[in-house]
Amino acid sequence: MDKLKRRSLKVLGASLGAGAFAVAMEPLRAFTAGLTLDQFLRSHFRELDPEELKDLLSRLEQEASEKIGRPVTMRADPPIEGVQFGYALNLSVCVGCRKCAEACHIENNHDRATNNSYIRVLEMDQGSLDLERGNADYDHPVPQPGKYYLPIQCQQCENPPCVKVCPVEATWKEPDGIVVVDYDWCIGCRYCEAACPYHARRFNWTAPVVPPAEVNTDQGYLSNRIRPQGVMEKCTFCLHRTRRGEMPACLEACPTGARVFGDLADENSPIRWVLANKRVFVLKEELGTRPRFFYFFDK
Amino acid sequence: MSRSPSSAPPESSTSSGPPPPSTRGGHQPDAPSYFLFLWRAFRTAFDGRWPYYAWMTLLTICALIGANAWAHQVADGLVRTGMSDHVSWGFYIANFTFSVGLAAGAVMMVIPAYLYDDHEMHDVVIIGEMLAIAAIVWCLGFVIVDMGRPDRLWHMLPGLGRFNFPRSMLTWDVVVLSGYLVINLHITGYLLYMRFLGRRPAKRWYVPFVFVSIGWAVSVHAVTAFLYAGLGGRPFWNSALLAPRFIVTAFVAGPAFIIVLLEVLRRVSSYRIGLGPTRTLHQIMKVTVAANLFMFASEVFTSLYAGGAHASAVQYLLFGLHGKSGLVPWMWTAIVMNVASIIILLLPRSHQDGRLLAFACVLAFIGVWIEKGMGLIVPGFVPSTLHELVEYTPSWTEWRVSLGVAAAGLIVLTVALKIALAVLTGRVTIEGYVPSIRPPAPAREVAAE
Amino acid sequence: MPHPTTRTLAWLAVASSLVACKEDVPQAWAAPASASQPLPIEVRQPLKLTSIETHERDSLGRPVRIACTTCHSLKTTAPMPTSPADLDEFHQGLTFRHGSLACASCHVAEPESGPLLHLADGQRLPTSQALRLCAQCHGPQYRDFEKGAHGGLEGSWDDGAVRTKNHCVDCHDSHAPAIPKVIPAAPPRARDSAEGTPDHG
Repeated sequence: MDKLKRRSLKVLGASLGAGAFAVAMEPLRAFTAGLTLDQFLRSHFRELDPEELKDLLSRLEQEASEKIGRPVTMRADPPIEGVQFGYALNLSVCVGCRKCAEACHIENNHDRATNNSYIRVLEMDQGSLDLERGNADYDHPVPQPGKYYLPIQCQQCENPPCVKVCPVEATWKEPDGIVVVDYDWCIGCRYCEAACPYHARRFNWTAPVVPPAEVNTDQGYLSNRIRPQGVMEKCTFCLHRTRRGEMPACLEACPTGARVFGDLADENSPIRWVLANKRVFVLKEELGTRPRFFYFFDK
Repeated sequence: MSRSPSSAPPESSTSSGPPPPSTRGGHQPDAPSYFLFLWRAFRTAFDGRWPYYAWMTLLTICALIGANAWAHQVADGLVRTGMSDHVSWGFYIANFTFSVGLAAGAVMMVIPAYLYDDHEMHDVVIIGEMLAIAAIVWCLGFVIVDMGRPDRLWHMLPGLGRFNFPRSMLTWDVVVLSGYLVINLHITGYLLYMRFLGRRPAKRWYVPFVFVSIGWAVSVHAVTAFLYAGLGGRPFWNSALLAPRFIVTAFVAGPAFIIVLLEVLRRVSSYRIGLGPTRTLHQIMKVTVAANLFMFASEVFTSLYAGGAHASAVQYLLFGLHGKSGLVPWMWTAIVMNVASIIILLLPRSHQDGRLLAFACVLAFIGVWIEKGMGLIVPGFVPSTLHELVEYTPSWTEWRVSLGVAAAGLIVLTVALKIALAVLTGRVTIEGYVPSIRPPAPAREVAAE
Repeated sequence: MPHPTTRTLAWLAVASSLVACKEDVPQAWAAPASASQPLPIEVRQPLKLTSIETHERDSLGRPVRIACTTCHSLKTTAPMPTSPADLDEFHQGLTFRHGSLACASCHVAEPESGPLLHLADGQRLPTSQALRLCAQCHGPQYRDFEKGAHGGLEGSWDDGAVRTKNHCVDCHDSHAPAIPKVIPAAPPRARDSAEGTPDHG
């Protein structure tokens, strides 16, 4: 009798526990509801054959279009053979207006609430390259006397620490030098964010929100399509634009012409002229990351 | 949740290879007896007196609270945590790091037992191995709750996904942690199964694994240190002293936990636990607590005396920087606790007074938890790589999820110890099963090697 | 007994140094794949070089501009003033912050001669070629401009495609060339500042 009572108590306890577990896990439903088996089993971007890639892009295009009620183009332009992208920025003429950061925000479909952007502009003391004395939150008319302005975005390192540390190869360096992220492969461990010495990587702490009317419909798989929740993202030198010959959005937005973008492999390109004729430097050179983003002063 | 943790390894002892030579009676190991072992272990986990049920119910409630908070976090995103793009790792990874240390520190019972032939330690070494298993559950738990996309965990599986080995230190960590789990499951599972059968364990089936586990324990924690030390962009972590510091703190936290655990087991279990192991662990802690304080001091000196960019994280940690000082009270608490603990450990009275010793262990444990958890992770991010100062405080979600993970690990530890002690005291054998509601049978001598 | 840690560590050391070695060797940029003939870069011709803004709008709402020659080909110009303060009929209220230059440093006093500008050597210059006028003092900027490193290059980075760049006066007011102060776009917000911790829920 006592044994029976004991056993039924145990069964009751176990079923109570199982029930409570089901209740506790209930919020997960909201997450799994938005996740199809297809998405769950999607292959790594670099393992897709051309046919699969085409299917994937048209499906993503359709999903994105339905979501905002406007046609979206979703492309995955391959790197142009022989082209090596590089960027240079003239610190003597940059006035710190953050127009580049704003253009990035719009071009790359960044979350509106956080005013996210891949570019951070530091207001620096003249005569110092000590980032510790920089300020990214300035909000007064610029340029201020005695200051210069240092926009920092992904440096597209030749030896990228972020790529090295990724446990699942969700981020890699493309043949044209751009470090990209497969948003559908990233597991969100944020090791790359810890490894990056330039604060170039951003995490989607929640699903980004862009009002449908403001969405940039010219989208790239590896660049500015709206990112899922819980994955990393970063500057790609606007590869959805640059891989078809256009300039990055930040360059076109710059009112002072401080930015020089181009093909490092083309010895007649303006950027090669800058590298050869200006005294350029890179950020945190001592770390051996070998950036493809160069800074220079005129005077 | 209460499945026997020793389900995997003994397969190797039953299926792969000839049965170990029997030197002293007992039953032949075969599949039915193995399943009987599992079944009786399972029953033991659900059997106990009311304090056991109360304790397990409490842990289950805590685990459920954590599960619920985690489910919300997965649905809404890590926006529910206090982390940001500036401080992109926080409480979870801090606890992960500490847990790896606990797992590695548990081996501090194995070394005296096997390398120095400490017989008394031999009797209780299984407790340390069980702690290692529970600590790995904590590690895995804290890593999984920190992931932005836990649904993509399979991307890490070699073969199915893309495992960036050997380039990524995180993949090394996965390898060493899962290897360590398997080794410890094998050793404990095998020893208990043999005990269950009433046979003397064959050395070749576990002694090599014990030695592997000693080396492995060090590598587990060294790899975790390299995870941070290898990042050139984070001066606070980019130090060659980090791995030695990790090992030393592991040998503070592990023994501290075990001393207290042994004290608890002496009270709640009929298993005879001598004072020898506690004495040995006490001696170990005298060295490691002091060594840890020394290493910490030399890190602080190197940073602050030289100054520059390397100093700012230490300055933030100990004194605050530009008016931000979130970690300062915590860090000084940790230092005071560590200093107090070494003073108590060195007092001759702590050798006689079990309570005083336990108090010193609790101080050292919490001290290391602060210092090596939040005190290590957060200053890696504050100031950020662009020298911005954004502070971090764990959110309630993080506290709740961490509570849940801690409870899950404690459930594993409790159940594992329950089964282990039931087998070691001879209440659970191939011949029979003595439910623990009856007065426990007199403790049997533990097989001496 | 073989000690696995030693091997693990040796492996680690060898593997990581190999990986690191390879990545630290600087690579030479490959030669361009196709040496297409570069197209010349087009320099924008801002309207303000040849016409002046009025405050009027035509029936379609477009701003009405008046060509410089409208007045300067018909009307005899008063003698060249020495400073903008002396302007009393036309071009009044002109702000001038361009070093110690006088009006006559760049402008031509005799109206009937056609071109309204002159170089330092006295050579006459139509307003549409103001670039050369700027270049005679701002040599380094002009050199950078020629090489595509000053003035912003738009359209494409590819020298086989159509590219345009700004004219000096697109960005600089020739009478006050320093770029004026602006209110910057909003700074990014750290996501934690929006929420505060500990959270609820």
